[in-house]
Amino acid sequence: MMQEEITSAWKIISPVWPLKNIIACNPLQGLEDMPFEQAVRQGEAYFQQKNLPANMGNVNRATIKWCQAFFDEGQATLSMPYRNLGLYRAWKKSAIFDRCLTHSEKNRKEWLLSLPESSENTITECLSTLAIPDDKATVFLAILLVTLPGWAGYVKYKTEWENESHRFPVTQIDYLAMRIAIVCITGQNPFELLAWHEKAHACDASSHLYKIKVAEKNYQTSFLNSISIKENFITSKNIKKYTAQLVFCIDVRSEPFRRALEKQGNYDTYGFAGFFSVPLAIENERTEEIYASCPVLLKPKHKIVEKLNCHERKCSFYKKILKNIYESLKYSFTTPFVLAEALGAWSGLSMLLKTLFPVLSQKIKSNISSFFSPIAKTEPSNNKNCHDIVPFADQCTYAEGALRIIGLTNNFSSIIVFCGHGSATENNAYATALDCGACGGRHGGSNAKILAHILNQKNVRDHLHNQNIHIPDSTIFIASEHNTTTDDMEFFIDNHVQKTINHQILSKLKKDILMAKTINNQWRGQKLLEKISNHHDISKHSTDWAQTRPEWGLARNASFIIAPRDISKNIDLDGRAFLHSYDWRQDKDGSSLTAILTAPMVVAQWINSQYIFSFLDNITYGSGSKITQNVTGKIGIMQGNGSDLMHGLPLQSLYQTDKQAYHEPVRLMTVVYAPRTLLQEIVLQNDVLKKLFGNEWVMLFCIDPEDKNIYVLSSELVWINLE
Amino acid sequence: MYLNCFTTLFHIDILAKTMITLIVFLGFIVWRFSGRYLQGDARYYKFMSLLGLLALSMMVMVASDNIWLFLGAWGISNFFLIEMMIHNRNWQAAKASGALSAKILGFGFICLLTAFILMTMKTHQTSIQYISLLSNDADTEFSVALLLILFAGMAQSALWPFHRWLLSSLNSPTPTSAIMHAGLVNGGGFLLVRFAHLYTSHASILTLIFITGMISALLGTLWKLLQSDIKKMLACSTLAQMGFMFIQCGLGLFPAAVAHLCWHSMFKANLFLGFNSLAKEQRCKIGESPSLILFLFALVCGVLASYAFAMTAHFTWLAYDTTFVLICVVFITATQVSVTLLQIERPLWIKSLSAILISAGLSAVYGLNVWLFELLLKPMQLMQPQALNFYYLCGVLLLFSTWIMSLFKNQLMKNNTMATLFTRYYVVALNASQPHPATITTNRNQYQYK
Repeated sequence: MMQEEITSAWKIISPVWPLKNIIACNPLQGLEDMPFEQAVRQGEAYFQQKNLPANMGNVNRATIKWCQAFFDEGQATLSMPYRNLGLYRAWKKSAIFDRCLTHSEKNRKEWLLSLPESSENTITECLSTLAIPDDKATVFLAILLVTLPGWAGYVKYKTEWENESHRFPVTQIDYLAMRIAIVCITGQNPFELLAWHEKAHACDASSHLYKIKVAEKNYQTSFLNSISIKENFITSKNIKKYTAQLVFCIDVRSEPFRRALEKQGNYDTYGFAGFFSVPLAIENERTEEIYASCPVLLKPKHKIVEKLNCHERKCSFYKKILKNIYESLKYSFTTPFVLAEALGAWSGLSMLLKTLFPVLSQKIKSNISSFFSPIAKTEPSNNKNCHDIVPFADQCTYAEGALRIIGLTNNFSSIIVFCGHGSATENNAYATALDCGACGGRHGGSNAKILAHILNQKNVRDHLHNQNIHIPDSTIFIASEHNTTTDDMEFFIDNHVQKTINHQILSKLKKDILMAKTINNQWRGQKLLEKISNHHDISKHSTDWAQTRPEWGLARNASFIIAPRDISKNIDLDGRAFLHSYDWRQDKDGSSLTAILTAPMVVAQWINSQYIFSFLDNITYGSGSKITQNVTGKIGIMQGNGSDLMHGLPLQSLYQTDKQAYHEPVRLMTVVYAPRTLLQEIVLQNDVLKKLFGNEWVMLFCIDPEDKNIYVLSSELVWINLE
Repeated sequence: MYLNCFTTLFHIDILAKTMITLIVFLGFIVWRFSGRYLQGDARYYKFMSLLGLLALSMMVMVASDNIWLFLGAWGISNFFLIEMMIHNRNWQAAKASGALSAKILGFGFICLLTAFILMTMKTHQTSIQYISLLSNDADTEFSVALLLILFAGMAQSALWPFHRWLLSSLNSPTPTSAIMHAGLVNGGGFLLVRFAHLYTSHASILTLIFITGMISALLGTLWKLLQSDIKKMLACSTLAQMGFMFIQCGLGLFPAAVAHLCWHSMFKANLFLGFNSLAKEQRCKIGESPSLILFLFALVCGVLASYAFAMTAHFTWLAYDTTFVLICVVFITATQVSVTLLQIERPLWIKSLSAILISAGLSAVYGLNVWLFELLLKPMQLMQPQALNFYYLCGVLLLFSTWIMSLFKNQLMKNNTMATLFTRYYVVALNASQPHPATITTNRNQYQYK
């Protein structure tokens, strides 16, 4: 009977991903049903309140303490007992001994003992104890969630998004039951809370909207001016032979690199979601970890194992023993004392190297660790039996789908590169936030390897031939990975490819990529705080353990362009645009466009709104300054001694200094090069799109290929000609 | 003449030189680190100047011979530290951390002040060297002064019951934590070593130092194992290590304490500065508790290793003095290493051989460490092993039994009554190790960086 209230109370909370794969998320996701401006005001009332009723301090302190203990993923050696019973029951078993809650009073202890075993009944019982009227129940439960939004968001992630099975189960009802029981036992007056909430809703003003509007106006004018230059719209594609074709991730960081590379020679570049349409799960034999390498909207379908060879297995064995000895001494009684002394001199030396010569120290470290355990090789790029992992039918689907969606179905050059990406930073809790979002916050190289491998297979090409995609025998697909922190590009070329590839072209490509890297290094270097220009400085930046701004990530992102590269080729997009290649002429039924708008664009909107809100209020929607952060349970960030789970981006990802901004809060502008009738049809068929465009979370612009005019979709979902 | 007067304020002996080297080394690293880490922070220049001033005042402190100069440098260093800890006064929780530290460190300062007044009134001298070489053990005023100095040291090193400030200090910027855990918390140990000669002539106070060290070592270790956030775990670990430093002082093995002070400083500074990588590290799966035969063999390895330690540290193996306690600690550690090695999947002879060699090797390295510092500090004659007494033996027993319990904890947990007991004491310990309530940011909107 409570189910409905509980579900609607949870609606306001958006999920918070753990540090191991940070996925961007709109902190106001629960308010997306409202028009943007209204949602921002509501968000202020729910989340941004500076003051809470005094006693809520005690309630939150207890919740934080027990959440930290329960959700710990391997930091504590002696962890909270009975966690396998689930959050609520485990908490109940421990709470009776918690003097911060019982104050050693018998009646409080008895009250705790008398609570029902079922968390749902507990909520019902507590609501009646607190005398909350039925019509206020939902609001009251929602207040309990929004007063600690980070931890509630983590529970939402655990219950709605986590792929792995739960060793320590938790439900949304469990969390609310614990929270309301704590409210009861600490004697927090519920009506004070309700009144506090009503008062917050009474003020109806937001300073944020002004900031957004100014930034948007500036960006839109210049962006639309540059894109509307008619020469950009090439009508008849003159067939031109390219030296090589490269497919990058849609990530905004690909754009300046692509631009730099295109200047070096006759290169054609494409943008595509960085998991290259292969939903993978990757198991690393060395770390014994399995993770999904695809967008969180999808479930991984195929598992590949990153295997170690015989020599590697031996080395990794020695490393494991050393680690085992270290940990068995460190996490026990009496033994850490000798350990600290035995490792003191080594620690001193290592600190000195890391601080003064980060690049050298990184080199030494990677030499040592590659001696002990080299990077595992991803199968099946060096293995024949790809069929075991991805069935032939799926291989054909992925191959055809990938080529069609980006419009690469003819005019193949002899080398085609799939280029995943990842970041390389030191001592950075937010490392995965800089990795490939399309790969679930991981590096994208493995996915690129799989697709390249699939497309190099004879039988797949035969199948494509029947589907009217003719790939010449001279064309070879290869995989690579773009390091977004240093702009290094690593190629993965296996023996088979090594034999057949045109080495002359490959070496020219590599040389030009090196040139592009230098250009992009300079361009990015100017934007970094220290204003650096050469590559050595950039790699120093990337390996420095004291660096809080190793790269700018996706900061300043503003637009999402779904069109052939020709449209944007001559424009400096300033690293602010997601670029998805798309050719409407090859998509008569609009299925590819629907896929692009409902998957990659939605993820881009998550990223975009996370940046906007983390920027506008870095304390409520962001995680504050890195310099005072603390990591709890290996899952998330807290400030200092203890706080809410600080979700969102840190100050250093958005601001040059504490006061000077780097990011610009601009709502995502999606620009599509396709007939507007087709586009309208797709929008009207999809509730998600109707919501995002109708409520103005995203602006939709259409460049109609027929009349070459630019149209914008209004909030009533009608096209307005911008001419 | 002024110069002469100035130089009498200082006494730069080998202890001071060692400490100055340490301060310069760590100060330089933290300073370089902060230069990048705090870039863009509104209080960048304030922080960097305070860091420099703190290093300077600590150097004055370790080098000073004049009691008032020492006290002044002590107080000023702590003042700088608290300023660096708060960093941003707009953040209420950080301010509360600072206030708590000021209270406890202020108490330590008053203890030290009173002790110094007592000492100068008695001796009419202001030279620490002169005072610390006096040894009239029957004197009550001196005993009181020494007790007060002990309290000051305990407050500075955040020993139980003065531990709260250290566990509540994590609202400070990471480099502050590094310089604090590697620097000023060691002040307590340094203080004891400075007055070592007086303490060795008061055997009962030495035992008291041992007991206080023991309590903190055990509590710190237990709390450390419970923490689920990385910085608090490191803070609890510091508490335990400070306890061990006091244990070594209490044993009369002051050079060993200095060795511990130096090496632990580097160890902990490295962990704090690199805490983000550390937090990401995935632990190895915990092995099963060892079988009895395996355990017995590991004990034999431990005995051999403790002999190796005694050799390299130039101790007599199994002497009836306090070096025995240190040898026992080495024995326990070496046994733990052997247990781990004996559990790997390799032929028996390889496992056994590697267990013997590696545990002995590790112990020998530790022994060399201790011997190196003994040699270094030889002119000060700080190695003063005491006769064993009941408390020391109890301490050994506690160190041993707690370790056994953690080694066999999987076995113990299978027992139902143990599990219930564990829950009760888990909650008690978890609550005891919480930071001061005012220093927790319960409403995230109260957090401030500007």
